[in-house]
Amino acid sequence: MKMILVVLPLLLLFAAVPVAMAKTTARANHDEIDINYDYNGSTVSVSGDTEKDVDLIIKIYSENGNEEMKVKDKVGGLLWMNGETVVFGNVPNQYFLRSTAPVEELLAESQLNEHSIGYEALAANGELEPAMEPEKEAELFAEFFRYKEKGSLYSQSVGGIDLRGGEPQQDYYTVFDWPYQAPPGDYRITVYAVRDGSVIDVADASLVVEEVGVEKTLTTMAEERGALYGIAAIIVAMSAGFGVGVIFKTGGGAH
Amino acid sequence: MLYIYLPVAHTSVNILLPIGLGLLVGMMSGLFGVGGGFLMTPLLMMVGIPPTVAAATDSNQIVGASSSGSYAHWRLGNIDFRMGVYLLAGSFVGGILGVQLIKFLREMGNADFVIKMTYILMLGIVGLYMFVESLNTLRKGKKGEVEVEPEQKKESRLASMVQSLPLQTEFVKSGVRQSAIIPVILGCFIGVLAAVMGVGGGFLMVPVMVYLLKMPMKVVVGTSLFLILFTCIEVTFLQAYTNHTVDFMLAVLLLAGSTIGAQTGTRLGKRLKGDQLKILLAIIVLVVTVKIILDVTTTPDILLSVTGGE
Repeated sequence: MKMILVVLPLLLLFAAVPVAMAKTTARANHDEIDINYDYNGSTVSVSGDTEKDVDLIIKIYSENGNEEMKVKDKVGGLLWMNGETVVFGNVPNQYFLRSTAPVEELLAESQLNEHSIGYEALAANGELEPAMEPEKEAELFAEFFRYKEKGSLYSQSVGGIDLRGGEPQQDYYTVFDWPYQAPPGDYRITVYAVRDGSVIDVADASLVVEEVGVEKTLTTMAEERGALYGIAAIIVAMSAGFGVGVIFKTGGGAH
Repeated sequence: MLYIYLPVAHTSVNILLPIGLGLLVGMMSGLFGVGGGFLMTPLLMMVGIPPTVAAATDSNQIVGASSSGSYAHWRLGNIDFRMGVYLLAGSFVGGILGVQLIKFLREMGNADFVIKMTYILMLGIVGLYMFVESLNTLRKGKKGEVEVEPEQKKESRLASMVQSLPLQTEFVKSGVRQSAIIPVILGCFIGVLAAVMGVGGGFLMVPVMVYLLKMPMKVVVGTSLFLILFTCIEVTFLQAYTNHTVDFMLAVLLLAGSTIGAQTGTRLGKRLKGDQLKILLAIIVLVVTVKIILDVTTTPDILLSVTGGE
């Protein structure tokens, strides 16, 4: 709430001062990734035009949601076990950030928070249930980001954005490795053009990751027809078991 | 090209990995009559499969491995169907009681601690006992499976009590005569423990049949597989129906390995003596116990985990 109170006047300020007539565009190489049976991740390239002499911040992220997790705790001073359940609220499941310079050098904290740029901003905008001491909360969020990075769902890096000069516009181009761990769903790409400590332009694109073919059939069936799916799974497993048994019997006559 | 996407687990794996795991665990089930869930589920989690999907899909896979193994053992005349049915009836009731017990423990708090400790203790005790016992018999002159005598004297009072129980039944395949109440009660006990620990119970069933029901090892393996088949059919269905956590794609890959592994294991088992089998199983159980103890005593790399998994 406090955040909004701080941010609102800033927003009004920006609205009042006409910024340069920058024109930033963004597009993804493909706005749809199909998950087929042999899918093992993909790549997503983001490119477009932007004004000269700007820094760029490129973000790919899923919609904010809640993530329920268990905190491991040492029980009886002896065993590490799953303890308290915590819910990280208002955080994206997936979040990639790439910028031409460290984001803290490009924008003030309030601006970073406003646009959810960087892990610190995610932690500031995120919520934790049950509420705890700020220190403990920061610790858990740090752990959350490590968990996400380990699962290839979060990353934050500087560099790797190609800028090619031109007058007055320049081209930019960057490629993200798209991890197979990112589940099917809708993703957003946002590109910020930054100059002198403020965001002068924003461009958006979208990305859909979708299961197709046999993958889609199986997921739909598992979700919507659990009983039938379960029976089918059992029948297939038993037929495979007996089938192999019979093959071995006839094939291995010597036994 | 060798990768395949698992639709329910939402992850991609190298095809050879689940096939290889299936082969290994299937061979164990053919050899020892255990489902191998205590080995497979953690291995799948290491590959990046979410814990709930790993456990559910593993039970689907065990349906295949144990059908394959049961069939092979049935052909070898190694299944005591009568004993199996009594044990199954007991473990079914035990399963229901176990689920209630977990609920009760959860309300008391600290349920996970109790469950983990039970798991470690059971694995450790069962493994150690089997190891020491079969090592002794192997040393004694490799006479195979005549270890019954000294124990009978010791337990004479209990034995006479057991013998006076009603419903004395001849279990022809196992070559024992016993009250039908005994396997039902033991089955119930296994059912409770299996439900509390969240495992299929094969590694408990095998020693119970060997040491308490005095069945010969070969019949134990076959009968145990037959029981596991039924338990896992039930679990697979419930998991698919209520939790939607069975990954069919993963199950098929595991099956490709485990059905063949189960056949190989059964054949290999024919060439080994009962005590050699017991000591091998004991070693595997002990190694898994040590691994679990290390897991829970060393500081984890990341202090968070997704809900639903240990």
